[in-house]
Amino acid sequence: MKNFFSNLGYFLKEAKTIFRIDFLSNIFSIFSIGLIFFILSMVISGWWLSKEVVEVLQKEAEINIYFEEGLDNIRVNNLLENIKSIKGVREANLVDKEESYKRMEEILEKEARILELFDENPFQPFIEVKIDISEVDGILEDLEPLENIDYIRDNKDIIDKLEKIITILTIVGILVITATGISTLVVISHIIRQGIYNNRDQINTLKLLGAPDSFIGFPFLLEGLFLTVVGGILAFGLIFFTFRLGYKQIGTSLLFIPLPSMEGLVKAMAIFILILSGALGIIGSFFGLSSAKGN
Amino acid sequence: MIEARDVSLVYGDGTEALKDVNLKIDKGDIVYITGHSGSGKTSLLKLFMGIEYPTKGQLKVLDLDIKKEEENNIRKMRRLIGPVFQEFKLIRGRTALENVMLGLRFLNLPHRKIKEESIIALEKVGLGHKRDSLVEHLSFGETQRVAIARAVVRKPAIILADEPTGNLDLDNALNIMELLTSFRDEDTAVIITTHATHLLEDIDEGKFIRVNQGQVTVESRGEA
Ligand SMILES: Nc1ncnc2c1ncn2[C@@H]1O[C@H](COP(=O)(O)OP(=O)(O)OP(=O)(O)O)[C@@H](O)[C@H]1O
Ligand SMILES: [Mg+2]
Repeated sequence: MKNFFSNLGYFLKEAKTIFRIDFLSNIFSIFSIGLIFFILSMVISGWWLSKEVVEVLQKEAEINIYFEEGLDNIRVNNLLENIKSIKGVREANLVDKEESYKRMEEILEKEARILELFDENPFQPFIEVKIDISEVDGILEDLEPLENIDYIRDNKDIIDKLEKIITILTIVGILVITATGISTLVVISHIIRQGIYNNRDQINTLKLLGAPDSFIGFPFLLEGLFLTVVGGILAFGLIFFTFRLGYKQIGTSLLFIPLPSMEGLVKAMAIFILILSGALGIIGSFFGLSSAKGN
Repeated sequence: MIEARDVSLVYGDGTEALKDVNLKIDKGDIVYITGHSGSGKTSLLKLFMGIEYPTKGQLKVLDLDIKKEEENNIRKMRRLIGPVFQEFKLIRGRTALENVMLGLRFLNLPHRKIKEESIIALEKVGLGHKRDSLVEHLSFGETQRVAIARAVVRKPAIILADEPTGNLDLDNALNIMELLTSFRDEDTAVIITTHATHLLEDIDEGKFIRVNQGQVTVESRGEA
């Protein structure tokens, strides 16, 4: 350890020299590592964002229950109370004929004129039930024995589709993380090997003087770490600008979906990239060092 | 300190560089290894440093058995040796001082001490004024002195100098010989190879190892 600290200046200087000797390929490596991290972070942010969106949508998950026509208020209220007492139901509200009509008007906006073609309000009152999505099957079961229910619109296809999207996103995310992780490791260990090859005479001399492998390898480790961390910072810069642009664009057009705060996302990405780049830099350097050791 | 029993060295291509070598080198010895070009002098030094391993026989250097399985211990053993290579093996792009400091870097010394000792060593070889010059800008003789400083700075148990007089005229050769042997003391043995036997004619103390086509004969002069 004493050894290590009294030589820290030497290690840094050596790492700098190694970097300079192979300057161009080091610069290219930084750019490719930066881009790899950028792609990785974009995929992860996309994955996270869609997860958040899906969660929001899930909270909005609802089923609509239509009851028999002409049911009197007491029975409707009874039904409402029964539904409310089912496990997994978060909220149940009566949407009457007029409310139903109004909602359709809002949805149709300009096209709402076609509603005027009807002599009478064609919409039916229904009970809107907000549910816990994971309980949907149980809820449907519990609704079965209730009387006076005419028809249930459970939106199950949409809910199922959402879950499928989450699964696909997760798989894609894992694949991309793995692929980018491996490419970073390959790039790093390759550049370390290159550095070792370029410095082979010097390394040989150090061995002849009795230097331990840790002493010989440490500057290369520093170099690898430097490459990935600078690559990471580059990626972070790109992400920051992309997010700012993205939030400006999407933020206005997708108002109905509350996006997670940009600061939170950017901060999380910064920490993530820093840790990842550090770890990959060290692991990649070790690969490079141990693969070059044989020669 | 160094003891060889029936040591032979056959290179990978079948060249038999050393045959049944028996020798013993003690603490504080001065040893001259002579022989024609290609006779096996460097090969002998390579064995001493654990760069090559005996194909046959047993070789002990500083209490360590020289064989392949001991690579880690051989590294440690080398830290007790101050080698001056035939082709110097200094690190380009670094100054004279930085090269000398490298001799001390992994010996567990504080940075200040490493620097101080290195400056002293450079001064001892007469190069105090060149410490900040890049080694590739130095003359041949200066380069050689930097290599010597790097070897002696660690106060090694053995100084190994391979052909230090190789490209020098008589005067300079004698000076280098004198410089190298001046580092001999009771804890430090000095081993020098040379094919310039005329340089050794007037020397009346030391061990003389003659290598002839891989075979070794040892002769002692004076007290040693
Ligand atoms: N790595 C090697 N592989 C095969 N043969 C080798 C190797 N190194 C040396 N030799 C051979 O071993 C013999 C002894 O070589 P060595 O270098 O020990 O000679 P030397 O006495 O140091 O010569 P010089 O005075 O020219 O430096 C030579 O025939 C040489 O060609
Ligand atoms: Mg030789």
